[in-house]
Amino acid sequence: MRAFICGLVLVAVSAWAQPILIGFQGPLTGPWAVEGDWALKSVQIAVEIVNARGGILGRPIQLVVEDDGGTPKGGTLAAQKLIAAGVKFVVGTYGSMVCMPSSELYEEEGVLHINYGCTRVDLSARGFGYYFRTSGRDDSQARFFVEYVIPLFGAKRIAVMHDNTAYALGVAEDVLRYLKPLLDAGEVQLVYYDAIMPGERDHTPALTALRDANPDIWYYTGYYPEWALLLRQGKDLGLDWKKIKAVGSNACPISETVKIAGLDAVVGAMITQEPLPAFLVEKYPLAKEFVAAYEAKFGPIHDSPWATYAADAIFTLAFAIEATKSLDPAVVARYLRSGKVVGEGITGPLSFSPEGDRLGVPYMLLICDEKGESARFDPAVHGHLVGL
Amino acid sequence: MNLVRLRNFAAHKPVRVALFFLVFGFLVSFPFWASRYWVDVGFYVGLYALLGLGLNVILGEVGLFNLGHAAFWAIGAYTTAILNVRFGLPTLALLPISALVAAGCAWLVSSPIIHLRGDYLCIVTIALGEIVRLVLINNPGGLTGGPNGVVGIARPAFLGHVIRTPMDFYFLVWAVVAVCALALRQLQRSRIGRAWNYIREDEIAAESMGVDVRALKLLAFVLGAALAGLAGNIFAAKMRMVSPDSFTFMESCLMFCIVLLGGMGSVPGTIVGAALVVLFPEVFRPVAQYRLLFFGLALAATMYFRPGGLWPRRRAVEFLVERPGR
Repeated sequence: MRAFICGLVLVAVSAWAQPILIGFQGPLTGPWAVEGDWALKSVQIAVEIVNARGGILGRPIQLVVEDDGGTPKGGTLAAQKLIAAGVKFVVGTYGSMVCMPSSELYEEEGVLHINYGCTRVDLSARGFGYYFRTSGRDDSQARFFVEYVIPLFGAKRIAVMHDNTAYALGVAEDVLRYLKPLLDAGEVQLVYYDAIMPGERDHTPALTALRDANPDIWYYTGYYPEWALLLRQGKDLGLDWKKIKAVGSNACPISETVKIAGLDAVVGAMITQEPLPAFLVEKYPLAKEFVAAYEAKFGPIHDSPWATYAADAIFTLAFAIEATKSLDPAVVARYLRSGKVVGEGITGPLSFSPEGDRLGVPYMLLICDEKGESARFDPAVHGHLVGL
Repeated sequence: MNLVRLRNFAAHKPVRVALFFLVFGFLVSFPFWASRYWVDVGFYVGLYALLGLGLNVILGEVGLFNLGHAAFWAIGAYTTAILNVRFGLPTLALLPISALVAAGCAWLVSSPIIHLRGDYLCIVTIALGEIVRLVLINNPGGLTGGPNGVVGIARPAFLGHVIRTPMDFYFLVWAVVAVCALALRQLQRSRIGRAWNYIREDEIAAESMGVDVRALKLLAFVLGAALAGLAGNIFAAKMRMVSPDSFTFMESCLMFCIVLLGGMGSVPGTIVGAALVVLFPEVFRPVAQYRLLFFGLALAATMYFRPGGLWPRRRAVEFLVERPGR
């Protein structure tokens, strides 16, 4: 009997000290390695913050990191590796087609999976019980562009350009869907709708066609490497971002674009964006703490929303496990699905629909100012950059 | 010299039989003691071995530079995906159909380019790989789903047993690899195999000796593509979705590496090459950001120290070294 009690105490003590494993799956190599690196650093900072506050249920979090290389195959291997490591909660990944097969493995194994950078709409339409995302969906951004950005500039002639990747095409099609009532009513005109080839170096033909279409506003829904080339070559071609309002998608971080294209080509170009950490500090105390900790350790804060969502996935897990007092993914998942606000993260209140979608993701319009910095677009301050 | 001695030792029949059973036993028992993750890695070794065997017929046996092999893999995978998702055909029954469709496409596209030699063929096949990928992205007839691909492929079932776990897929792919490897070994020793090697060594001499170069080259292309089609079917069944990002130029390069690393025209060499190409990035996971650097270094080092590949075809050596009596 005494041995039994001793054993119990031992088990209790070891459980006390034992860390809770949380997996991180992201593209640390491959074409999206920048995003993977930022996300990993953000997640590490989030873990440090949670651990400094005493961890979850008194136990510290320990991260298990796996690289998926940004490919579907790499995604399944990384997921298997995490599952084999005994991880019950996973944060990841970036890219919808990478996420799809991995999330299926997590679902089968009953591993709670919180996605941070996959916005494809039907990811949450598969009837999964363990799938969540802290980011928005493709159509939330498109809706923001049509219902806020177009009226802001009173644009009549609309150009939409994508690069045929899953993500860019999804946004472009959603723009068309939300634009349809306006087009039918004859209020606006779609003067350009086409795709460019990702990886190509010379986009002059597409830009010439764009110039000839003479749009008021030009929305590019693809990624930053092409966006930077488009801006550079467009500038060289004589396009003027005061006449054609150039708006990129949220996959076009301004700092990276400036690095590739040079400041003169990017000034006045805008992007539609989930709120960046730098703009969240005024509003949410946790964001302030997060940015301070990040900058103390890794230098200036990144301007990727996805990495911020990755950090928020950690906070979501911490809040939900703490609230349910359970390490059973099924219990935690049920709690998250209730639609209750589980806590206030870096990007605001964290709550989820029964399908696992994040509820209420706000957007904003950012502009590259004369110093090459991202600034929240304010007509009074930045009007001269876009010819207002 | 030691390697030659080792090779001669391995040439003894009892040694070879023992070696064979050792490898066979290892492969069969592997999923029973390895973790799910390693079983999945084993699956990908098998998958790339299958792709490598296909390319080995084209590149290794006949010496045709094909840098667009991923195209046939993609065709196989999309055939399975489209026929299963849109027409409800069972996934496993599509295994031969995928191979046939890939082979048919290979026949169609390689017929007009088969007379090209060396680098010229290489360039055309690169273009071929890219064209197939771009066609898939452009979603012809709403069939391929564009960049989003086709999702929701049913799990294959074999005699009522649904193939779903990593172990199931491991056995599926290695069973196919085993059958193909044995068949290819037999083919190597046949008239066709010898004619292929003849073309590789000296095309003009082969033609003047009455070898039908064009037909045999086409046969190699068609056969290699069929194997890639098989791999496509298994890959689609495993991922349960196909998207164009899986069939990039990089994948074609990897297959090329597999054949060169293993040794041109060598069946066991190709399997060793596949194991290396899949295992290396996995083993170097702890240094995530640098693992591709190590992979590249390993490739360069192998090519420097073993330019003929890790396990080259024996035939070439037989002329050089006197073999001890068996």
